[in-house]
Amino acid sequence: MTIMETPPRDEVVVVMETPSAKRGSDITRRAGGWALAYLGALAVFGAFMAVKGVNPFTAYRAMFESTLLDASSLSEVLIKAAPFLLAALAVAIPARGGLVNLGGEGQIVMGGVAAAGVALVFEGQMSSGLVMVAMLLGAVIAGALWAALAGVLRVAAGINEAISTLLLNYIAIDVLLYLISGPWKDRAGFGQLASKPLADETRLPTIGSDGRIHLGIFIAIGAAIGIWFLLRSTTWGFQLRVAGGNGEAARRAGLPVAKLLLSGLVVGGAMAGLAGAVHFAGVEGQLRPGMTFGFGYIGFLASWLAGHHPIRIAGAALLLGAIAVGGDSLQIDSGLPAASVNILMAFVLFAVLGKNPRLAGASR
Amino acid sequence: MSVATLDFSIDETKQSPAIIEVRGLTKRFGDLVATGGVDFDVRPGEVHSLLGENGAGKSTLMKLLYGVYQPDAGEILVDGVSQKLNSPADARALGIGMVFQDLRLIPAFTVAENIALSLPGGGFRYRRQAIERQILDAGEELGFLVDPKALVHHLSIGERQRVEILKVLMSGARLVILDEPTSVLAPQEVDGLFTAIRSLRAKGLAVVIITHKLHETRAIADRVSILRAGRMLASGIDPTSVDDRELVNAMVGREVPPLPAERAAPPDNKVLALRVAGVHVRGDSGNTALHDIHLEVKAGEIMGVAGVAGSGQRELYEAALGLRPLNSGTIHIAAVEMDRCDPGAALGLGAVGIPEDPISDAVVPGLDVTEHLALANLSSLRKGLGIDWSRAREMVVALDTRVGLRMVAHDRTVADLSGGNVQRVMLTRAFGVDCTLLVAAYPSRGLDVATTRRTQELLLAQRSAGAGVLFISEDLDELMELSDQIAVLHNGHLAGVVTPGEVDRYAIGQLMLGGAA
Repeated sequence: MTIMETPPRDEVVVVMETPSAKRGSDITRRAGGWALAYLGALAVFGAFMAVKGVNPFTAYRAMFESTLLDASSLSEVLIKAAPFLLAALAVAIPARGGLVNLGGEGQIVMGGVAAAGVALVFEGQMSSGLVMVAMLLGAVIAGALWAALAGVLRVAAGINEAISTLLLNYIAIDVLLYLISGPWKDRAGFGQLASKPLADETRLPTIGSDGRIHLGIFIAIGAAIGIWFLLRSTTWGFQLRVAGGNGEAARRAGLPVAKLLLSGLVVGGAMAGLAGAVHFAGVEGQLRPGMTFGFGYIGFLASWLAGHHPIRIAGAALLLGAIAVGGDSLQIDSGLPAASVNILMAFVLFAVLGKNPRLAGASR
Repeated sequence: MSVATLDFSIDETKQSPAIIEVRGLTKRFGDLVATGGVDFDVRPGEVHSLLGENGAGKSTLMKLLYGVYQPDAGEILVDGVSQKLNSPADARALGIGMVFQDLRLIPAFTVAENIALSLPGGGFRYRRQAIERQILDAGEELGFLVDPKALVHHLSIGERQRVEILKVLMSGARLVILDEPTSVLAPQEVDGLFTAIRSLRAKGLAVVIITHKLHETRAIADRVSILRAGRMLASGIDPTSVDDRELVNAMVGREVPPLPAERAAPPDNKVLALRVAGVHVRGDSGNTALHDIHLEVKAGEIMGVAGVAGSGQRELYEAALGLRPLNSGTIHIAAVEMDRCDPGAALGLGAVGIPEDPISDAVVPGLDVTEHLALANLSSLRKGLGIDWSRAREMVVALDTRVGLRMVAHDRTVADLSGGNVQRVMLTRAFGVDCTLLVAAYPSRGLDVATTRRTQELLLAQRSAGAGVLFISEDLDELMELSDQIAVLHNGHLAGVVTPGEVDRYAIGQLMLGGAA
């Protein structure tokens, strides 16, 4: 019967869980996977277009040429992408703390409302530069406070922030409608529901030959870099990541979990408020119903596409900006409603989420 | 003496053919060889003890026998016939039954309902009275008396275990595999279990008992097999032919130095690291989990906490660290009253915990070892707005060397590590902090013998450094070896505080079960 021979001591139970040698091939494989996900989304939407009697190849070609090959359309993409980027940051920051901010829409509206209010009060009273700064600041505060409402409900009463932020959207939209149909209604507006337009000198300064690319794009990029630094390199960002990863572990490590969650939502809301101001002062110049409709949800999509990573979010916002602009060409060239690109956006999201259902995880 | 030269005398008397015999059984998980070419057999009418450390492959081997896993190589013979066990159902059909460590009964059902669920050919109708009659008869015959009408959640752990074993026997098992059955039992309950096992043996049934406790092996086993790192070092030897030291060496692969028997007496001072006075605490389901607990842990003292699983240990841990609100009573850490549930304040007073369930309570997905240790030292690592990660890395390297529990590479993600490696991270983090109060819940869970010994040394080192240690464990031997005093919990009450040198295991067991000492 058996008797022992001593096994070599070190063959024992050492399992290498992540050998770094495999890394190179991992990256190619992952990139291939992502490409497949995006192509899959394009294919499904192509099939949809084919069913509607549109040749998907010519439609895609038209979309591509009309967005990326033409200078003025390219600036259109950037203009669209700016608020998308800020709206996505509004989702990404709370997401690091494990929170779901569905209130981008409302926070954006409140940012726009605050910017308009500041302009109504201070235009002509201060230099236009100061008014601009005050508008942006007011929007940041308004977006932050609107998000803070949901944050306080969450940490004080345990009310799910996904629900409360979503419901606050409807209230924000009603606030906007009330203001532009009553106190802030533009008397010279021929019965249109809109606020008094901004004076030209209080609009965000523009650059470039066609005079459309405005400061807001640079504000958005600056915000993305700032948030990236904040999440990656500060103690606050680290603690937020811990609270989002395992709230009980954060509590037991003595972290102020409630404050962290609240601050995450507040900083997120501030970004959404900024998105509202940028769109108001850079593009619209006046409040009107539905002016930022869908921005919050597209931001939500962009943040999830990018795994809540601020720099990757910039890329996702550009992609969605291009799809949105491409939607216009779709309407003109193929006769499909512009909103049908929302279907493409949804397919892209499903493909990405299907690829990695745990995208919400903390990536640095 | 090296293991290879050990001359175990082997019981060659093959009285009866084996119920089950395995030859060259190999199971790999990726690169890990969980069992490598294992030979093993179990005969009718014997109790066979399978010894080995955590991770030696004991559970894997038993799951191969029970059809949970399928071997990569080797064969399994049942009654001399080669069999392929594709599922536990196949194994049960051949008369092989297994009782897992985490008992698998439905708490809201009665004993009879639980057993009826597993009986073959139950049919459509649940015939309660017939089943209850059957349970009483079988219990009497086999020595496992249980009340068939009792709801499982009203039963003690020991009683539930008896139900589980009876369930396996009633479904026709000739061979019962018991996975660490004694780890949750008081000594008296262990005696009861062993008596019942002996009666099974007398009836010609076979029992395999997985354990790492030598005295239990000696008390009950006819033969012993020893696994280490997936290899069978001794298969079916006579336990009387070897001494304890040889058995431990075979299990561990080297000598384990004993703990120093002499240690400084606890300082005769009145400095309290922890004072628990009249504390009532509710459990998660709203029940009162701690009743009127009074307990004092002096600085420089180890206060052990014993009790049957679920007697309030978790709630005591959480209350002591400011993690769970008190319904009444007070808790002082280092003479400062914790006036509300505030883990940050407890940490600020120098109270450190080793959690019972690290994955749910301490491990943050995506963070690596360095980040987990930095989390406990954030205030000292601040640099401007951020964290000085290069200093954090140096700190962790220094801690790892000082504490000496050999953590994995510090850039590994903790959530991906095995239980034992997660535990090393938790221990290094806790032992790396200067503390006034250390609350350690099952610190050696999942560790091998050598690391367990190092952990015990570290607990003693904290004691010598003047910390008060509240040491919760389910291992009475360990508690008696390390503690200056042992507080015994029974059903949320403090059943007594005893001094290890003055009482024996049975007296503590008596308190654990709710009797007087």
